[in-house]
Amino acid sequence: MKNLTAVFATLRKKGRGQYLLLSGCLFFAVLLITAFSMMMYSPTVQTVLPQGGDSRKQVMMIFVLAVIGCGAFSLYAAGLFFRYKSREAGVLLALGMSRRALNRQLCREVLGLTLESCGAGLILGTPLCWGIWSLFRLFLVDTPEMLFIFNLRAYTVPFLFFLFVLFLLLIMENRFLARVNVLDIIHESHRPEPVRAVPSWYGWGGILLIVLGGSLGYFAPSFCVRVLQWYAPGLLTAVFYLPALVGLYWVLLFTVVGGWHRGKRRYAHLIESGMMQFQGRQTVRNMLVVTVLVAGAYFASFYTPMMMTSSQAALKNREADYQFFYRADQEMISQAEIQELAQSYSAQVVNYREVSSITLAIDGETEVETEGPMGVTYTVQYQEMRSEGRFFSVSAWNTLARDNLTLESGQCIASLDRYGYPSSISLVTNPVTGQSLKVETLPSPLSSRLLSDIYLLSDQDYAQLIQGLTPEWQEVQVVFDAENDSYALAKDLFHRIVESSGPETAVFDGYDRISKMNAEKAGEVYWGDQVEELNLPVIDLTRPDSSSFRTNWLYMPQFQALDEGDFLSTYAVYLLLFIFISILCFAAVSVILYTRSQSLILSNLWVYEDLHKLGASAAYRRKTAQGQVKRVFLAPLLTGTVLILCFYLLILLGNGRVWGIDANEAVAFAVCLALAAICSTLFYLLYRFTLKQAWRLLKL
Amino acid sequence: MLSVQNLCKSFLVGGEKYPVLKGVSLEVKKGEFVGVMGPSGSGKSTLLNSISCYIPSDSGKILLGNLELSQLKEEQLARVRNEKLGFVFQDFLLLDGLTVRENIMLPRIIGGKNVPAMEKSADLLCDLFGISHIKNKYPADISGGERQRTAVARALINNPQVILADEPTGNLDSKSAQKVIDAFLQAKTQLSATIFMVTHDSYAASFCDRVIILKDGNVQMTLEREEKERREFQDALLDSIRESSEVKES
Repeated sequence: MKNLTAVFATLRKKGRGQYLLLSGCLFFAVLLITAFSMMMYSPTVQTVLPQGGDSRKQVMMIFVLAVIGCGAFSLYAAGLFFRYKSREAGVLLALGMSRRALNRQLCREVLGLTLESCGAGLILGTPLCWGIWSLFRLFLVDTPEMLFIFNLRAYTVPFLFFLFVLFLLLIMENRFLARVNVLDIIHESHRPEPVRAVPSWYGWGGILLIVLGGSLGYFAPSFCVRVLQWYAPGLLTAVFYLPALVGLYWVLLFTVVGGWHRGKRRYAHLIESGMMQFQGRQTVRNMLVVTVLVAGAYFASFYTPMMMTSSQAALKNREADYQFFYRADQEMISQAEIQELAQSYSAQVVNYREVSSITLAIDGETEVETEGPMGVTYTVQYQEMRSEGRFFSVSAWNTLARDNLTLESGQCIASLDRYGYPSSISLVTNPVTGQSLKVETLPSPLSSRLLSDIYLLSDQDYAQLIQGLTPEWQEVQVVFDAENDSYALAKDLFHRIVESSGPETAVFDGYDRISKMNAEKAGEVYWGDQVEELNLPVIDLTRPDSSSFRTNWLYMPQFQALDEGDFLSTYAVYLLLFIFISILCFAAVSVILYTRSQSLILSNLWVYEDLHKLGASAAYRRKTAQGQVKRVFLAPLLTGTVLILCFYLLILLGNGRVWGIDANEAVAFAVCLALAAICSTLFYLLYRFTLKQAWRLLKL
Repeated sequence: MLSVQNLCKSFLVGGEKYPVLKGVSLEVKKGEFVGVMGPSGSGKSTLLNSISCYIPSDSGKILLGNLELSQLKEEQLARVRNEKLGFVFQDFLLLDGLTVRENIMLPRIIGGKNVPAMEKSADLLCDLFGISHIKNKYPADISGGERQRTAVARALINNPQVILADEPTGNLDSKSAQKVIDAFLQAKTQLSATIFMVTHDSYAASFCDRVIILKDGNVQMTLEREEKERREFQDALLDSIRESSEVKES
């Protein structure tokens, strides 16, 4: 050993545990962020998730949470590292090493360590992403659009994270060295983290605040929209969740410092409570991050079962095997051709029904938006021609649905819309001739689930309104069942329908020609035509099997066999993304819980030694250590899990037109509960492993 | 050699100022073995930490030869600590990742000295303090007495003008403490070291040439050993301590 560099190298070698902890945390953080970012920036995900859409917002929100979580555990590991190095630094300063020389050496250490670990994370993040992506394709779903494409831009976020961590590490290092008092540096590793006295009402008060904040935050946006007619900015309505965050902090603080064991039972937990009291601040901050990450991870995990359960239920409830409609001006496949096609697949078309429908303008209230400094407000305005509506004559409907309805002239029956809400109209207009008819919508909606977003008119009214209507405003609705049905038949028929459709049908399902006419009348460009500007779904008739086409084409047929067979591949990108996010968040949670538990035990080693000297048995010390580790694990995991389950329950209760849970939602929630149980079991195994490691550290 | 003049130091606790040193003055001559004793809270450790400039003093002078330590800049102070002062702490403060021999050489490495010469010096000190057999062991593998003798050897490797020792026998059993005291005596007789030792232990202090008794942040008295037997000097020290610990009734 010839010089200081050699001294530091030797010290590094001997203290490799601490170095490994920091570099491991930095590596893990950058690895996860790189992999996540690589997935987020992949053209596949960018194409599938609509810009400004809820899915993209949710993914971004969880991504930000994950980055914050990674930042939190990286900085925590850095804090532990400097606490460990403080004794060495203090001794070297005491022996006459200048701060400048020490700073130089420590900077070199921090730089080297950060560069190595973050660099490895940056490099290996892409293979990790590719690995998970490939495993997903191999074992779950593989579609042609799920190609993994490397995007250099994906390195922006992890690189910024690396710079941020490096910057903070250097600041921490400088602050650590800037202390005037050498003795403070030497004794840094024994400095406790004090917490102020925690009032006994923090526990229940915190729970109350969580409920209050959660409810306020949940209902505030809809209150603003429905009552105040104001689309308040998201940040503003998010403020209503703040009491919940304060409540969460109170509950965790109460749990960490005092615990819920009050009265005589508290003596059984006196030692661990006492130790936690002086490790409190950092522990509670960590727990907050873990709670939020657990909630984020579950949020992402529940996406898949929720979507699958509700979609599968909708599939099962379909009243016909095959149903599709097309514009009357299209040269579509005929009944005979369909039967011939079915026979070539050894299937038999049965219950074939084919009726016509027309598209008219319907009246209704529209929201006229005004953009102001506090967001968008709106006023409700009645329009005689508000949007498109699809109409059947009652006799055509009876043929189609095998129903037996009757309607007087001037009466109308509306089906439920796609979200399950009833609609009501009072005026219909022929968009070509401008002829209008006042109608009365009957209070009971159409009971059949065969079609949604449709209206029925009496045969007389229908015949009157179809006069002068050009073929592009008329459709043909086909419904049939198939015996010996197969996926191959369904796919072939679907492809033939797409091949028979002209370019004028290449529109997404939100496209409305009446709204377009209104916009043009007002001298505006219709929003549905601003495909590129608004990043709207692109309908490409040459790519009928793409997820975007299947989920957004206005004339997308509903074929039971096709939808069941392609269910996973249609939603594959969503599934992949949300499963990946939950893996990332759960991994981050596991690292935080493990490192925090270990550091907690390490910093209290001397207490365990004292307990041993005072005659505490190994069993007692094991139980005390278990109490500490249990607090680190149980409080944030339980809180995060319960919170997200309550949040989902609230969503399910508020979904639909009636406050309550239907059978499908109950099944979806049961699947979420089962998933939570599986994840909790895995966390329990991690807890047991961590506890065993803690006992090993204590030589118990 | 070392001169402390009217040294004052106070601490702020909860917004209130507590004076710990209230104008302490003392002198340590070259080659002298001086002890500082006093009841808890008398300011012994604060005095030592102020002399070594680990904590900044409020006022007063600390002179090491012609150098006024409190006026030195950070870099100069680091040089003085490295070359002119040697430190022995109660809890040894050895680096766990370095061997005994490497720990002893550390002040020379920090000073960027010649390698073969420092290895030779370290080996000589190991021989002198009877720790040659453990020189390649790590601090975790040796006894408390051996650790403290390593710390004494480390303090001496740069031939400092003064060794500052803070309760060097505080964490040791009597046998190990005796070995550390022997190490100090050897340093004094064979290396002409000047030692300034803060201690609670009247037995350790009884080997000093002179013991300064501190009380409530002031020098209460100084006892010279002169030609006294060690036991006789220890009795005198105990009497003085007992006397200084008594609260005078007004």
